Amino acid sequence: MTYSHLEEVSGEVGAFQLKVRKKARYVNEDLCTGCGACVEKCPTTVEDAFNVGLGERKAIYKYFPQGIPSTHCIDAENCRQLGQGKKCGICAKVCQAGAVDYEQQDQFVDLEVGAIVLATGYDVFDPSVIPEYGYGRIDNVVTAIEFERLLSASGPTHGHLDRPSELALRVEIAALDKDLKKFNRQIDKLEEKHGKKTAEFVKEFKAGQAGEDGDFERWASLAEKAAVAEEKLAPLNKKEAAAHTAKKLAFIQCVGSRDFRFNRFCSSYCCMHSVKEAMIAHEHDNETTSSIFCMDLRAVGRGFEEYKLRGGKSANIQYIRGRVAEITEDEAHNPIVWYESTTTRTVEHETFDMVVLATACVPSAGTPKLAELMGLDLDENGFFKTDSLIPLDTSRPGIFVCGCAQGPMDIPESVAQASSAAARAAEVVFTAPKAASGGGK
Amino acid sequence: MVLGGGIAGIQTSLDLAEMGIQVHLVETLPCIGGKMAQLDKTFPTNDCAI
Repeated sequence: MTYSHLEEVSGEVGAFQLKVRKKARYVNEDLCTGCGACVEKCPTTVEDAFNVGLGERKAIYKYFPQGIPSTHCIDAENCRQLGQGKKCGICAKVCQAGAVDYEQQDQFVDLEVGAIVLATGYDVFDPSVIPEYGYGRIDNVVTAIEFERLLSASGPTHGHLDRPSELALRVEIAALDKDLKKFNRQIDKLEEKHGKKTAEFVKEFKAGQAGEDGDFERWASLAEKAAVAEEKLAPLNKKEAAAHTAKKLAFIQCVGSRDFRFNRFCSSYCCMHSVKEAMIAHEHDNETTSSIFCMDLRAVGRGFEEYKLRGGKSANIQYIRGRVAEITEDEAHNPIVWYESTTTRTVEHETFDMVVLATACVPSAGTPKLAELMGLDLDENGFFKTDSLIPLDTSRPGIFVCGCAQGPMDIPESVAQASSAAARAAEVVFTAPKAASGGGK
Repeated sequence: MVLGGGIAGIQTSLDLAEMGIQVHLVETLPCIGGKMAQLDKTFPTNDCAI
């Protein structure tokens, strides 16, 4: 059941009663073929959550191209028809399968289960609360997950390592271009109507020799607007022409973790994902160089140490022991990293094309609410509490937890825990009297 | 019931289903996949994440 929330929990181990709200998609899942014709025609564009705000999507959308179930969904809040009460209905008109249904309502599903496994995952720490790193203020300081989307072939830049400052520049240029074209279209019409070139008209108008006509005021103001837009565009186009992909990268470790101001714990996987991202960036363009700023690089796992060394040898990665104090920005939007190199015991600074913050793994936003709903305890870091000798059991019998809902861990560890949680849940289901009668899990 | 359709939730559901147990997988977002679907490649093998 996707697009669903757990609303109520009662009962006990072996026989839990649950109420799940299945939110209205406004698209009939059984009819939708996932062709995407509706997306092409939808007039509303909003920020794309899957691409962490780096791209755009329509109000009717599929969360990501390979997503399962392969069916679309309307974001009611941003939809012209549903959220804003305007007449639209375009998606319903273009849908050949007749799957769009604006009347669909939320449904409630009652479930009876023997055991519950929580695999609610984690959230990425928001680094904008650390002012010295300038996230949100400096365009080319990004989080690791944003960088991951920039590297991805299915991401907003199709795998080109374009810098966010240049992406913003392109958006600005496109908006100005659109305005300029609009002005020019109107000016062309006026030129044709009056049989005069704009330059000639403006000269006459300024000299007060143009005469009287209803159009003249508008023509003059359009000519002025077009000139302003052109003036603004010229330097932007110049900048765009000089733009290049990011080739010199800095990775900053422990952003929000191992930091007494925020989270004391180690997020465990960030060291390795920074090495990985630096290696992949080098694979995209072998001129790319990376510096990883860390307190210590924790490569604990099978094959991880070798991976780290391989990065240093063959992917132009330099490991720098030192905590970054501040990030500033130069005129060309290049971030400047100020740090103390603990090997030379000096404060140094270096300019990069882009800085990637290895953000901490924090409990997902819904964790406290879910814990209250289910009557579960949380640990001192806000993850679901477990015992180190029975690592999958929560404080309530019959409810198990696996993956990052329990604490930061990497993918192999999550998968291993998931299989263990399945075994623990199966134990409950097979021994509970309900299960024998086919009540399910 | 498995709550959360990320890599951990999917793996738990598949394992339980293989044991012949009926599973309800509940996910908040419109698609399953979770954070891992957002990743490009995974360490230490640089395999594709999707």
